[in-house]
Amino acid sequence: MNGEHDRIEELLAGYVLLALSGEDAIEADRLLSEHVPSCPMCRDTLAGFGAVAGELALAPTPVAPPDLLLPRLRRELDRVSGRRRRATIAAVAAGVIALVTLSGLSMSLASRASKAEHTKVQLYDVVGTLQQPGASSVSLESMDRSSPGMVEVSGPGFERMYIVGRDVPEPAPGHAYQLWLGSGGTFVPVGDMFLPDDGLVYIRLTFDPSPYDEILITEEAIGSRATSPSRGGHVWHASLTAAA
Amino acid sequence: MHEEERLDLELHRRVGSGDRAAFEDLYRRYAQPAYALALRVTGQDALAQEVVHDSFLALWRAPEAYDPTRGPFRTFFLSLVHHRAVDAVRREERLRKRAERVSNLEPRTGEDVAEEIVEDAYLVERRREIREALQTLPPDQRRVVELAYFGGYTQARIAEELGIPVGTVKTRTLAAMRKLRRALYRED
Repeated sequence: MNGEHDRIEELLAGYVLLALSGEDAIEADRLLSEHVPSCPMCRDTLAGFGAVAGELALAPTPVAPPDLLLPRLRRELDRVSGRRRRATIAAVAAGVIALVTLSGLSMSLASRASKAEHTKVQLYDVVGTLQQPGASSVSLESMDRSSPGMVEVSGPGFERMYIVGRDVPEPAPGHAYQLWLGSGGTFVPVGDMFLPDDGLVYIRLTFDPSPYDEILITEEAIGSRATSPSRGGHVWHASLTAAA
Repeated sequence: MHEEERLDLELHRRVGSGDRAAFEDLYRRYAQPAYALALRVTGQDALAQEVVHDSFLALWRAPEAYDPTRGPFRTFFLSLVHHRAVDAVRREERLRKRAERVSNLEPRTGEDVAEEIVEDAYLVERRREIREALQTLPPDQRRVVELAYFGGYTQARIAEELGIPVGTVKTRTLAAMRKLRRALYRED
């Protein structure tokens, strides 16, 4: 049994550092749900290692965040505090919840704790935005209808927009997706290129998209620094002028 | 319980009641270590800002996520920041290789280190203890912990990076965590 506990302790050490992957992550997942809750020794180990991991966070020399961060948070809190649910967006919100739930099913467990927390916060972000007066959502349709659509969420004066999607296919090898915003037929690349995570896409951009009238997501060669959208591979498109 | 931890608990309780002043007090207490951690893990100012912003927003939106019976608020919140930073950097890393940036715990050239940073003496003392504990580790053990925690590397990736078997990474990690636990939580 000691050998078995040594093995569990080894997994828990990697688990609290978020360093497990593959079979180890699955095994840790199983142990955390089946064994650890009923084993005082393992519970103590998990708590102790977890505390160490928490304390390691203090090791770097403190760095003051930019002065603009707190005012930005204050504005966000104003919006969160004044939120009102809009009936017209309830269906979209429910869709986002379903998206997160489904994607969670395929996660390996050891990464699920962090992923679930992260996904939960992403969910709060998107749904919180949808609940605000003036929020709107727009469907990005796959141009060749071969892939599920994505959804853009924003609102006048929000200074942020989200793109969320599920079951998004992987791009061709050596390629990633690029978001473009268009105005009068001219497109500019926005943000870093991205890949779906287990088919899930969540993009949060902090700027006001209202000057733009179109959104494109295209497949581009990694490192190509494309200046105009290519039309090969998967492409999604939406017209922002049609936003409700 | 240390007096500072009691204060955190009280501030967290007030945040649960929607107290903005308490939220800002927690921000002032933890924005700097949170930003430093996010910057260390992500290596990118913009990404670190997003991590810290989203972490504080998550705290405001779901303060009940912290269970005081499971440890100090500081540990909970900085773990949340760490999780988000690792998630962010792993997303980024799928697109491009990052430069070496986890070789030590000191700020990199160009990081915005405010001269006037004022930090609670308790945190300063705790940081000193944590760094001392890390320094007591054999270099090969310290390296795997740093790559995992501050680099966001999986054990498989660490094995690749260091050219050693995954089993060795696991053994070193366990040995390091045991030593750190003993050093940081020795009987007071």
